[in-house]
Amino acid sequence: MSQLRVESVTLTFGGVAALSAVSLRVERGELVSVIGPNGAGKTSLLNVVSGFYHPQRGHIFFEGQEITRASPHEITKRGIARAFQNIELFSGLTVLENLLLARHTYLAYGLAQAGVFYGKALGKEVENRRAVEEIIDFMELEPYRKALVGNLPYGVRKRVEVARALALSPKLLLLDEPMAGMTLEEKEDMVRFILEIRAQGTTVVLIEHDLGVVMDISDRVYVLDFGQVIAEGPPEEVAQNRRVQEAYLGVEA
Amino acid sequence: MRNPWAQTGNYRTSYRQDTSIFATHRELVSLLLFLGFLLVLPQFLSRTQVFILDLILVYSVAVLGLNITTGYAGLINIGQAAFMGVGAYTAALLAPQGLPFWLVIPLGGLVAAFFGFLVGIPSLRVKHLYLAMATLAFQVVFEWAVGHMPLLKQGGAMDMPRASFFGYEAGFRNHFHFWYYASLFTLVLLALFFRNLLRTRYGRALVAVRDNDRAADAMGMDPGRTKLFAFALGAFYAGVAGVLYAYLSRAVVIEDYVFAHSVKYLAMAIVGGLGTLVGSFLGPLFLVLLDVNMESLSNLIKALGFSVAGVDVASALRPLAFGLIIVLFLMFEPRGLYNWWRLVRSYFRTWPFKY
Ligand SMILES: Nc1ncnc2c1ncn2[C@@H]1O[C@H](COP(=O)(O)OP(=O)(O)O)[C@@H](O)[C@H]1O
Ligand SMILES: [Mg+2]
Repeated sequence: MSQLRVESVTLTFGGVAALSAVSLRVERGELVSVIGPNGAGKTSLLNVVSGFYHPQRGHIFFEGQEITRASPHEITKRGIARAFQNIELFSGLTVLENLLLARHTYLAYGLAQAGVFYGKALGKEVENRRAVEEIIDFMELEPYRKALVGNLPYGVRKRVEVARALALSPKLLLLDEPMAGMTLEEKEDMVRFILEIRAQGTTVVLIEHDLGVVMDISDRVYVLDFGQVIAEGPPEEVAQNRRVQEAYLGVEA
Repeated sequence: MRNPWAQTGNYRTSYRQDTSIFATHRELVSLLLFLGFLLVLPQFLSRTQVFILDLILVYSVAVLGLNITTGYAGLINIGQAAFMGVGAYTAALLAPQGLPFWLVIPLGGLVAAFFGFLVGIPSLRVKHLYLAMATLAFQVVFEWAVGHMPLLKQGGAMDMPRASFFGYEAGFRNHFHFWYYASLFTLVLLALFFRNLLRTRYGRALVAVRDNDRAADAMGMDPGRTKLFAFALGAFYAGVAGVLYAYLSRAVVIEDYVFAHSVKYLAMAIVGGLGTLVGSFLGPLFLVLLDVNMESLSNLIKALGFSVAGVDVASALRPLAFGLIIVLFLMFEPRGLYNWWRLVRSYFRTWPFKY
């Protein structure tokens, strides 16, 4: 059974359909990319999967359970994490605190213990700090640990955005253009991180504009245009598809 | 091993150490010395001077609460005086029944927290100016309700009994001293509690909903619950402050809990530094001392019989100074006195080295 199933989902904004009858399946451990021109509905797709928008029609299932109407925090608790296209970090907090916030649901202690900062509160904080430090190491963010996120350069903030989603220890990771606006070197690092995340068993749904990257690392590709899936399959197949070439030529040529 | 006293920076070597509040030995010792100083301070002051300190302490509790809701969680609240009033009226009803003050204090806080929870409900849907209106509505309804309740003497003075603590009676001579120590103890306890919260998920969640409540939602926390918590906790502190103020002034009257006071607490929070713990003490300290000095100054002017075009300059001085200070802070130091405090502290942290 597919880990994520999106069944003919329609999402409209005042008459304009951002998604029309979109269906998609993602298997456990897969790396699936979603491509398409600007305004195709890619971000909207992630918005309905992560619960920020609820579709007017259609259903969404995660690990066999319906999440169509669930709120973002309920969906996060089930194991879906998301890195936003427009960085949505907590700018008044440090990198470390941003990642610790992602451990919110793992920090199971009560108000009284928190108020004296002893016993379970102290233990859990230290334990989760360790988990967060592993991610900081992995994403090579050590120099920025205690820096306020608002003061960091764009490329680093993008990386913190992914690191924070990873700190949720998700089963399914949704990445919305994690490499957009990055330098070539930063992009290469990000690709390395994504491949490593997948190798550790996390399912990844990636939205990306760089077709070279997409064709290189994806198991399967979905192509969206005007809110509709116009092609789906392994990268080499999709690249040959006439409609895809048209859609891309129409936009990029 | 490095000499901990000569430490000028952060040399923490374990995650556990890294959660500690004080960066250096010196900071902890400085705080303890300062608390020791506060303990002996009243011995050198007159009763009136101790009363002024009492006010600063009680206001600090209320402003700390306001900082939790408005400063840390970013939920504008212009009804803090009404929450204080809820605590005060709880005290006015319970204390004459013979309940000890140390029980009335937390009870007043809890009743206020319950109202804070209710008032927080609109924050689930509305923000900014609209939320400000919702809290203002609570302030108005509170004043109206008290004014119409015979049980609360329709806002007229309700007597508060004197307190006693294990046989030690707070009488006429030591009343202000008694409430100095009671308020100081309460403030230290509540400040410590909140300082601890700040290094746990509860504190981080407050800042998260302030900075970006969409992202907070994506972190697996219910932003709505966090906002209700922020309102309830901030109101709890106000309620406690209300009980303290009721005992201190030996009576509860509605005038002490009207809208103008809510504005005053907001001003104290801003002047101290919104969203900072230390600012919650600096704001009340600064504005109360300013007020006291302006009062002496205006008395002096009155004695000289000085007036401009028939306007009583002396009486206008206090509100004018108050307003001017707030405008100056908003314009030139929006981060408040906390910013000055930060500069002084970083100077002393590396002292005697330059940097
Ligand atoms: N919150 C919104 N309100 C109105 N229209 C929206 C909203 N979000 C997306 N849209 C519209 O939906 C369409 C798809 O947008 P989006 O999903 O952001 O595309 P992509 O991420 O593929 O560039 C666009 O036409 C966009 O204007
Ligand atoms: Mg997009």
